[in-house]
Amino acid sequence: MNAGRVYAIAARKFASLRRDKRMFGFIVLMPAIQILLFGIAIGQAPTGLDFAVIDESNNGFGTLIIDELDESESLVIHTDYATVSEARDAIAEGELWGALLIPENGSFELHLDNSNQQISSTIIVEVRNAMSDALSAGGGSVPLELAEPVYGQKDPAFIDFLAPGIMTMVCFMFSLILTTMAFVGERYDGTLDRIFAAGTKPSEVLLGHLSAFTTILVGQVAVVILIATLGFDITIEGSVLLLFVLGMLLGWAAMCFGLFISSKAKSEFQAMQINMPIMFPVLLLSGILWPVQALPTWIQPLSWVLPTTWTAEAFRSIMLRGWGLESTAVQIAFAYNLAFALFALFIASRSLKVQE
Amino acid sequence: MEADEVSIAGDEVSVGEVAISVTGLVRGYGKVRVLEGLDMRVDSGSIYGLLGPSGCGKTTLLKVLLGRLVPAAGEVSVLGSLPGSPGSRVPGGAVGYSPQELALYEDLSIRETFLFHGRLHGMQAGVIRERESWLIDFLDLPEPSRQVARMSGGQKRRVSLAIALLHEPELLLLDEPTVGVDPELRARVWEHLTTIAAQGTTVIVTTHYIDEASKADRVGMMRFGVLLAEDSPAVVMESQSATSLEEAFLALCRRDSGGASE
Repeated sequence: MNAGRVYAIAARKFASLRRDKRMFGFIVLMPAIQILLFGIAIGQAPTGLDFAVIDESNNGFGTLIIDELDESESLVIHTDYATVSEARDAIAEGELWGALLIPENGSFELHLDNSNQQISSTIIVEVRNAMSDALSAGGGSVPLELAEPVYGQKDPAFIDFLAPGIMTMVCFMFSLILTTMAFVGERYDGTLDRIFAAGTKPSEVLLGHLSAFTTILVGQVAVVILIATLGFDITIEGSVLLLFVLGMLLGWAAMCFGLFISSKAKSEFQAMQINMPIMFPVLLLSGILWPVQALPTWIQPLSWVLPTTWTAEAFRSIMLRGWGLESTAVQIAFAYNLAFALFALFIASRSLKVQE
Repeated sequence: MEADEVSIAGDEVSVGEVAISVTGLVRGYGKVRVLEGLDMRVDSGSIYGLLGPSGCGKTTLLKVLLGRLVPAAGEVSVLGSLPGSPGSRVPGGAVGYSPQELALYEDLSIRETFLFHGRLHGMQAGVIRERESWLIDFLDLPEPSRQVARMSGGQKRRVSLAIALLHEPELLLLDEPTVGVDPELRARVWEHLTTIAAQGTTVIVTTHYIDEASKADRVGMMRFGVLLAEDSPAVVMESQSATSLEEAFLALCRRDSGGASE
């Protein structure tokens, strides 16, 4: 390994990256825009849901519940429906998302347009909370009380589950896109041949590129974490610095894998194409949108091959549980990303090697 | 006087030395065989013109000489050892290579281009700068701050050649260095090659301007992965009773094809 040659390649690459203003803007702005859009679009509770309450109880309890429901930001309460069948018709017409029957005696009934799970579960939570609050306000006792959770909040926000996963995805995706085309062109236009003729080793070429890209990675990861933490109301119990370091490690793992693609792809177009079938499984199998524990057991081992799964898990532990470097989940994520990066570098340098 | 004697003595030694020797070289890609038992000898301090149509294996041969491709069979010695073997100076600072493609970074300036390749060879910034002014002057290049993207095809070709000359290597492998270069400059390039060869540099030039190679000390005429002939241009022409190298090459090809069909 010759440090001078690694420096030469890194300096050359960095000059090119800096000079390509549009590209430079793209690679710094895109992750920022993605994480912003995500924060704006995903995880907030729905609002303005039309909801009917049919109060047949004619006692104070029904009024108490309606008052509690009225306070909810999600629901718009209508009390002008006289019967359940009238309310069900309105639901069928799409005028209401649901209706609650407060009976004179017997069971409460909840009638729903159950075609949208997120909306239904919001309504169910609101109704349950209103009933509990009305019960305690009326001096009664709640059948099941949710104690203060060990980790997380009593009223968990979906964004808290999703944010660590999306941060993982953005760190991974942009590092991969950035590096897949790193030297595809150079392999075919003679540039790399000349670099090798000067006695440069494949590992020096790879490390040079990795060093240049790392300067951009620092910015990308910092932007992603800053926007996620400052821009939105996302729970972060643990260390932001630890998030940053882990984000860097994941970025390296992705970049090294990207460099491997770069050492294999036959054209820049092909390199871009290879990204697609990688991105989608990563999104689906890493527990980013849906818990890994909910995947069929036969596919779960595949999840744990991906560095994103370990990282999303560790991000979640750091952000929601406040765990630090002393926790095994975080340590494993650190070690796995490093091992993945080294392995990807190894296979990339093999494919750039002298042809036997 | 003393200095002259030393250099004369040096010349006498180098004439006998062999810079490159290849015997029975076989190499292909996968199942396709490109080089079919090729023999070649290049003397130190000489210009060797490697001629042949595209697809005959010239570039593959250069890649073997540069250590990027390992021979499947045969013996290859470049500057005294198998390229890429432990202790070999090739690939490395001993060789200057100019690929058939321009192989330039369009976004770099001439100065940055020289700096990049100079650093790869471990040259000091001051030395790179000295070579830069000499090369710009010699190859009639634009100002050092000029971006490669803003140069003409001929200028780019000359920058590509300049990179190979930058670190003053003892062996030059130039793949089609005169494509798209105007006749006047082509003559100057050859003049320069003659000068540095006289100072002991070994030069291999591939070209498809066959007659241009008459300025070489020796030519190798390549077809289908072997050399049909290898000698000084005069001897090759005489043996085919031809008046130009091109004519000689065509005669060799006809004989080669005839022999194959018999």
